[in-house]
Amino acid sequence: MVSKLEELYQEFSKSLAELNDQAEILNLKAAFLGKKGKVSEVLKSLKDATPEERKEIGPKANEIKDNILKNVNDKLAKIEVDQINAKLEKNKIDTSVFEDDYVNDFRHGGLHPRTLIQQEIEDVFLSMGFEVLDGPHIETEFYNFEALNIPADHPARDMQDTFWFTHPQSEEENKHLLRTHTSTIQVRGMLERKPPFRFIAPGTVFRCERTDASHEMVFNQLEGMMVGEDISIGHLIYFMKTLLKEIFKKDVTVRLRPGFFPFVEPGFELDISCLICNGKGCSVCKHTGWVELLPCGMVHPNVLKAGNIDPEKYNGFAFGLGLDRLVMMKYGIDDIRHLNSGDLRFNEQFNKY
Amino acid sequence: MLVSLDWINDFTKTPTDITPQRLGELFTLATAEVEEVLESGSHWDKIRVAQVIEKEKHPEADKLNLVTFTTDGENRLQVVCGASNVEIGMKTPYAKIGVTLPNGLTLEPKKIRGVLSEGMLCSEEELGLAEESEGILKLPEDAPLGETMLTYMKQTKDTLLDIDNKSLTHRPDLWGHYGLAREFSAIFKAELKDTFNDDWAKGLKSKIPGGDAPVKVNVDKDSSCLAYYGLTVKNVKVGESPDWMKRRLLAVGLRPISSLVDISNYVMLELGIPLHIFDRQKIKGDTVNIKRISEEETFTTLDEVERKLISTDTVICDSEKPLVLAGIMGGLNSGVSEETNEIFIEVANWKAAEVRKTSTRLGLRTDSSQRYEKTLDSKLCERTLLRTLELVLDLNPEAQVVGDISYDGMDLSQIETLNLEINYARLRKILGKEVSNDEITDILSRLDFKVTEKSENIFNVEVPSYRSTKDIDCDADILEEVGRIIGYDNIESKMPLLDISPVRLSPAKELHRKIRSFLTDFGHGFEVQTYAMIGQKLLDECSWPVKNENLKLINSLSKDHDRMRPSLIPSFLKACSVNSKNKNQYRFFEIGRAYNEDEMNFSKESHQVAIAYFHKDENQFMELVNDVKNLLRATNIPGDITEKHPKFKNELIDEEWLGVHPFEFFNLRIMGKMKGSIFTVHPLMLRKFKIKGNLSMAVIDLSAFEDRPLKEKTKYSPLAKFPSSQFDYTVELSATKGKGQVLAVLKKLKIKEVLSHKIVESYTPDNSDVTFLTLRTTFQDPEKTLTGEFLKDSEKKIIEHLDKNGFSLKS
Repeated sequence: MVSKLEELYQEFSKSLAELNDQAEILNLKAAFLGKKGKVSEVLKSLKDATPEERKEIGPKANEIKDNILKNVNDKLAKIEVDQINAKLEKNKIDTSVFEDDYVNDFRHGGLHPRTLIQQEIEDVFLSMGFEVLDGPHIETEFYNFEALNIPADHPARDMQDTFWFTHPQSEEENKHLLRTHTSTIQVRGMLERKPPFRFIAPGTVFRCERTDASHEMVFNQLEGMMVGEDISIGHLIYFMKTLLKEIFKKDVTVRLRPGFFPFVEPGFELDISCLICNGKGCSVCKHTGWVELLPCGMVHPNVLKAGNIDPEKYNGFAFGLGLDRLVMMKYGIDDIRHLNSGDLRFNEQFNKY
Repeated sequence: MLVSLDWINDFTKTPTDITPQRLGELFTLATAEVEEVLESGSHWDKIRVAQVIEKEKHPEADKLNLVTFTTDGENRLQVVCGASNVEIGMKTPYAKIGVTLPNGLTLEPKKIRGVLSEGMLCSEEELGLAEESEGILKLPEDAPLGETMLTYMKQTKDTLLDIDNKSLTHRPDLWGHYGLAREFSAIFKAELKDTFNDDWAKGLKSKIPGGDAPVKVNVDKDSSCLAYYGLTVKNVKVGESPDWMKRRLLAVGLRPISSLVDISNYVMLELGIPLHIFDRQKIKGDTVNIKRISEEETFTTLDEVERKLISTDTVICDSEKPLVLAGIMGGLNSGVSEETNEIFIEVANWKAAEVRKTSTRLGLRTDSSQRYEKTLDSKLCERTLLRTLELVLDLNPEAQVVGDISYDGMDLSQIETLNLEINYARLRKILGKEVSNDEITDILSRLDFKVTEKSENIFNVEVPSYRSTKDIDCDADILEEVGRIIGYDNIESKMPLLDISPVRLSPAKELHRKIRSFLTDFGHGFEVQTYAMIGQKLLDECSWPVKNENLKLINSLSKDHDRMRPSLIPSFLKACSVNSKNKNQYRFFEIGRAYNEDEMNFSKESHQVAIAYFHKDENQFMELVNDVKNLLRATNIPGDITEKHPKFKNELIDEEWLGVHPFEFFNLRIMGKMKGSIFTVHPLMLRKFKIKGNLSMAVIDLSAFEDRPLKEKTKYSPLAKFPSSQFDYTVELSATKGKGQVLAVLKKLKIKEVLSHKIVESYTPDNSDVTFLTLRTTFQDPEKTLTGEFLKDSEKKIIEHLDKNGFSLKS
């Protein structure tokens, strides 16, 4: 009887292999497993069997029943998938070309490279508790010069650097000009808050300079200031190193040397070890191994006073960063004039997606 | 400025165990930026005395000789030489291959017309000994063969530091070698020689006979003069300066001219105070008057240029005419010449600002004006005068001083000594480094400050007069002195202890970022930045009604950027004209500032966002309108899109402006004001800018609302418990009519259960003037399921309402 069952299963398998129609497969299933099916018939004869035979045949019969059922379901499932895939093939789309293979592809966008760098630096400083301030472009002498310890006869007030709206030699009080540095926001920042505080101020500045590939009359700077009690040069170094590490994504060797700026005392030039030649000397660093990057210093007491802050109690540091220079360094931009050109052949290279 | 270490070593000892490069670096770290370290005279010990053995004509060139010579009596060397004075037996300097001559030429082995030349026999000019010379240098017959020129000519090697002038702006005391030597002595802890001490001064003063000065000095109070010393010396001979003086002048880049001119330059370079030497004979009368000129006149300066002087300029005059432009340059009419035998030495100090004003106006910056601009110390004038006298007497043993020193100007004893009370404990804290009191005092003393202890950690620091003219006036300045000598590089980075409080971007910055993200990610735009300045030409070209005449720069660099822009739109038209040449389709935007005249505050700056959509063939207007609508939603800007209003005009775009399309225009009404606009640029305007295609723009003034956080409008309501019902229907309307009119009519019908009316689709058969518009109205009641009866009734109301308003159901 066991061999009979085996034979039946062989017979079923052979028939199933030949069928590809859902109804026929279901008929085949009925022919073997139905009430009057071939397997059922065999099992009916089981009642005449001995207990020993039953022990042997019972499990075998169940096994064959399960196999048949499984084979049928598998086959049916395969047929369904084949049918759907056949339909999908009929509706096959062309996956060989992409949006950006077309002339009229326009679904791209991107930020100005200045914005990219500026936002990154803003976020670094925000995370360290610095506010981000803004201020007017058209300023008065007070904010651009006087409050920053640049008195009336200082060379920085000369015509050659500053764009004036009124002649600087005119008698008019507090003449208007285009700010030559973002340091104006130091003054505004101080006047609007009480120490301790810390902020940065990115923004556009203007210099009356002939433009060429590396000079612009309109460019961007980022100012920073921190005022509190007992702020030290060591603190300044900490923030500058952290900033550079965040920008360049690695530890950068820096050196601090004296630099003269009227609004800080002492004033420093912060140089970074040239990233092109690793400090060995190349044309970028004029063979010195160092690149001048961050003028900074401890806020001059006169500047604190102009900001209504008592220099006996509080002190602080300030720094300025040439944003455009950083942008040009990061992306290897050859001509600073591209930044203000509005020429999309330039801007499109900074696409986000 | 070039600094000679040889000269510095007259006064202190610079270290010899470090390379010149390292020395320059240490000076950069402590005092001022050394841009370059140069070695001068390094050729001298590579050039030797040679003797000519043979001379024959070059086979291929008449004017050239093949000269055979030796430097050791044995080996024969040959060069091709063009000099006509070559003779057999003559001794002359020979520079071998590899030597770099002062003119920068490095000798390399080369063939001259086919014959190899192994170096060069040198002329005085090539050795840097003369401006020009003829033939090679003939040395005396007893010149020892093979000796280096360093030994034979008693030449010196020198190291020169080229210091960035800008980094010395605040240090008037460093514009001479003696002052610089003090820095070196402080940095390297080497002694500074007290060369110009009281004994030295006494010695020189003993050579001044006293009595009536032959030239008296008269300083006008309103002139720029602070102090003026004059001294007359007779029996002076003008000739060449001694070699040592010429060498030093040449080393730091000054051309030797004649002994007297050289002396005045030498003393200026040594002590940092300029001076002027007159030919006494050319001073008419017995007085020099220092005064402002009374009326405009022309004056010819030493460089033979006629200068126009104005009445605020200070000059030094004799009884007839101006002789010197104070602090800047002498006149052609009073300088010394070869005939001069009596001189008048002027050492003076001038007001920095006035010297700068005049020199800037005349475009005449001299070694002298450059120094006076830094605010010099009047107390140093006498020393300078004595040093000048010393050199004049050294070079002219017969010379004699006539009469006494004459002086006019302020009472120098009235100049107050600056004393600062310095708290060393605070200094240490701000420095961020533990430095002992003794160390601080030591550094300050080496820099010539006089320090006395007053109480614990409190010290009185007396500032030398030459440091207190402008440079040092508060404790921060003292901190700098200590910090830079210790070396800022020796201060360690230190994280501060700070209070923590939340910090966010300002609402404006936050809004700008949101706008940028939206317009790049959703609007597919690129951010550009354009100039804040604009020119009349562009404003005229686009017929922009506002010209900003009162926001014009007086010193603009070009007419195209001579004023602040009143709007971003003209800049955008210009950018579009460039981009349309290169592209068929583009979108870009800018968040920038527009500047407008303001009576109260001179000007008003407002942030605008401007957006441009361009397509060569397809209309961009509705795309832009829909994107702007979404932009407002995404950024919570409280605004809506409205038609032109008869009373409330757009505040950004003049509706009458030629650039506006007659039909494609919307106002953006933000908080009740027309603070934005979306429009298509009129084809006529496009033609002016040679733009071929469809250009739509939007502009929004952000200044009205960016400073406050914008309220988020998201509102949640619980999911509906009862089902909604929909009703679809199709109406007819004229194909030329706006479909929005149907929606507008529907909105007037008030049924509170209506959730929305939306368009499903519209269809206009070919060549038909009728459009079929299928609409869907959705009904819902949050409290109950709507009955069939109610729906039937409402549907009927809608159809009747539409019909009444001219939109009948499709038949």
